Amino acid sequence: MTRPKFSWLGLVAVCVLIGTVLPFLVIIPSSFTSGAYLTFPPQGFSLEWYARILDRPEFVHAFGFSLQLASVTAVLATIIGTLAAIAMSKYSFPGKAAVNGALLSPLVLPALILGIALLMLFSRIGIAGTFIGLLLAHLLITVPFVIRLVLTGLSGFDYNIEKAASILGASPLRVFWTVTIPLIKPAIFSGGIFAFLVSFDNVTISLFLVSNKQTTLPIVIFNYIQDSLDPMIAAVSTIVIVVSLVPIVLIERFYGLSKLFGLSERSETP
Amino acid sequence: MTIFSRRAAIAVLLAPALVLLLGVFILPMFSMFVTSLTSPEGGLGLDSYARFFTDGYYWGVLGKTATIGAITAVATLVLGYPVALFMARSDGWVRGVITFVVIVPHLVSVVIRNFGWLMVLGDNGVINSALMSLGWIQRPLQLLYNEFGTIVGFVDSFIAYMILALAASLYNEDPNLARAGSILGAGRLRRFLTITLPLSLPGILSGLVLVFSLVISSFITPILLGGPRVTVMATLTYQQILITLDWPFGTAISFILLATTLLVVTVVTRAFETKRYKEVFGA
Repeated sequence: MTRPKFSWLGLVAVCVLIGTVLPFLVIIPSSFTSGAYLTFPPQGFSLEWYARILDRPEFVHAFGFSLQLASVTAVLATIIGTLAAIAMSKYSFPGKAAVNGALLSPLVLPALILGIALLMLFSRIGIAGTFIGLLLAHLLITVPFVIRLVLTGLSGFDYNIEKAASILGASPLRVFWTVTIPLIKPAIFSGGIFAFLVSFDNVTISLFLVSNKQTTLPIVIFNYIQDSLDPMIAAVSTIVIVVSLVPIVLIERFYGLSKLFGLSERSETP
Repeated sequence: MTIFSRRAAIAVLLAPALVLLLGVFILPMFSMFVTSLTSPEGGLGLDSYARFFTDGYYWGVLGKTATIGAITAVATLVLGYPVALFMARSDGWVRGVITFVVIVPHLVSVVIRNFGWLMVLGDNGVINSALMSLGWIQRPLQLLYNEFGTIVGFVDSFIAYMILALAASLYNEDPNLARAGSILGAGRLRRFLTITLPLSLPGILSGLVLVFSLVISSFITPILLGGPRVTVMATLTYQQILITLDWPFGTAISFILLATTLLVVTVVTRAFETKRYKEVFGA
C-alpha cells in the first residue's frame, strides 16, 4: 500500500466535501447552546433547547406521526416491492420490460408534479390531509427503490435451489420462506430501511398532502424556519439528522451505500 | 408450484405493485393533464397554456429558472469534478470514506440542509460575522433571499448526483492509458486533458442534464433561501396550486416545466451524440 502523500487534488476535494457537510457542522453544535439566540459558534453547553421541544406539542406530535408513517411505509413497501421483484426475476412473460419500466417510472417524474397530481386525486376522493393519503404517496415513491434493490439482490439467484427444495418435498410457501427469502435478506432489509429513510425525510410530496393536524416533522420544520430561527429548531433538526443517520449506517453495513447508488465497489487496480 | 399455475403466481406477485401504480400514479397523472386543459368557462381548451405563453412575465420566470438551472449545473461540475477524480484515483478505505461523505448529506432532508445554509449565509451568519470581525466589510453582505442563496442551496443539494455521475465514468478509465501516455512523455496536465477529460465526457453530460432537470423542478430551496423575491417555475406552480388555488393554470405550468426538461435532455443528448462524442465512443 502506498503511503498517503499530499496532493492538491485531495485538498480541493476535501474543501468541497467540507462545504457539503457544512450545514450539519453548524446546526448540530448550535443546538447545544446555552444562549438565548441561534449563534455559531454556540455559547456554552446545555441541553435546555432539547427540553424545550417537549413544551411544543406540535413538534412532538409531528415526530411521532413521521415515525409511524415511515415505519408503515417501510413495511408495506418492502412487501409490495419484494413480491414484484421476485415476479420479474423468476418468470419471463410478455411485456415484462414494459412492466419493469412502468414500475420504476414514479422516480423519473419530478416530485412537484407527483405531489400536485396526488393532491388533486386525494381531495376528490376525500383522503387529502390524511394518514392513508400520505401513506399511498410515500408507497409510490418507495416501492420502486425496493424493487430495484431486490432485483439486484436476485440477479445472481440460482432458481435450481428452489427446485431442489421442492423436489425434497417442501411446499411452495415453505420454499419461499426458508430458501428464497433468507438468500436475499440483505437486499430486502436494505430496501425496507431505505424506504423508511425516504419517507421520514420527504418534504416535496408531503407538503401537498399534509393537513394542520396530520403533518410530518420535516414539514413543521419547513414552516417554522420561514418565520424564525432559534436554538430549539436546531435541536429538532439534530434529532432528524440522528434518526436519518441510523438507517444510513445500517444500509452501509448490510448492503453498501455505493451499491445502492449504482457505483461498483470494484477497485481499479489491474 | 402445484397449487398455483405459473400465470396466477405472476399475477398475484405483481398485483399489489400494479394496483398502486395504476391508482396512485397513472390515474392521477392522466386526470391532472385533463385539468390543465380545462378552460375557466368549463369545457376543454388550451387557455391556461395560452395565458402562460402570451405573458412576458411568465417567459421571464421560465428564463430565470433555466438560468439558475444552468448555473447550478456548471457549478456542481466545477466543484464536483475534483472530488470525483480524487475518488477514482484513490482506493480502499479512502474511496469508501469519500463515497460515504458524498452520499450521506444528500440523504438527509433538504429542509435541514437549507436550514444550515440559513445559518451560514444570514446577516448574522457564519460568513458575515467572520468577515465583519476581520474588519473586511462594514455591513453584512446580502447572501440570502436572492438568486445567490438559492444557487448555493441547490449546489449543496445536487452535487452528490454530479459526483456520482462523474465517478461512474471515471472508474471505467483504463489506468494503462495514463501509463502509456506517461511513457510517451505526456505530463500530468496533458494526460488529464487528452485522456481523462475526454473519457469522462459521458459522465459530465449526464451529470449536467441530471442536475439541471432536478434544479428546475425544485421549490423548497427557492422558498427557504430565495424568499419571495426569487420566483422560478416550481415556486410559481406551488403558489398557483396551494395559495391561489388556480389548478388549471398551476397544472399547465407544471407540464410546461416537464416539457422543458424533456426538451433540454433530448437536445443536449442529441447534440453531443452527433459530434465528436459519437466518433470517440462509437455510439
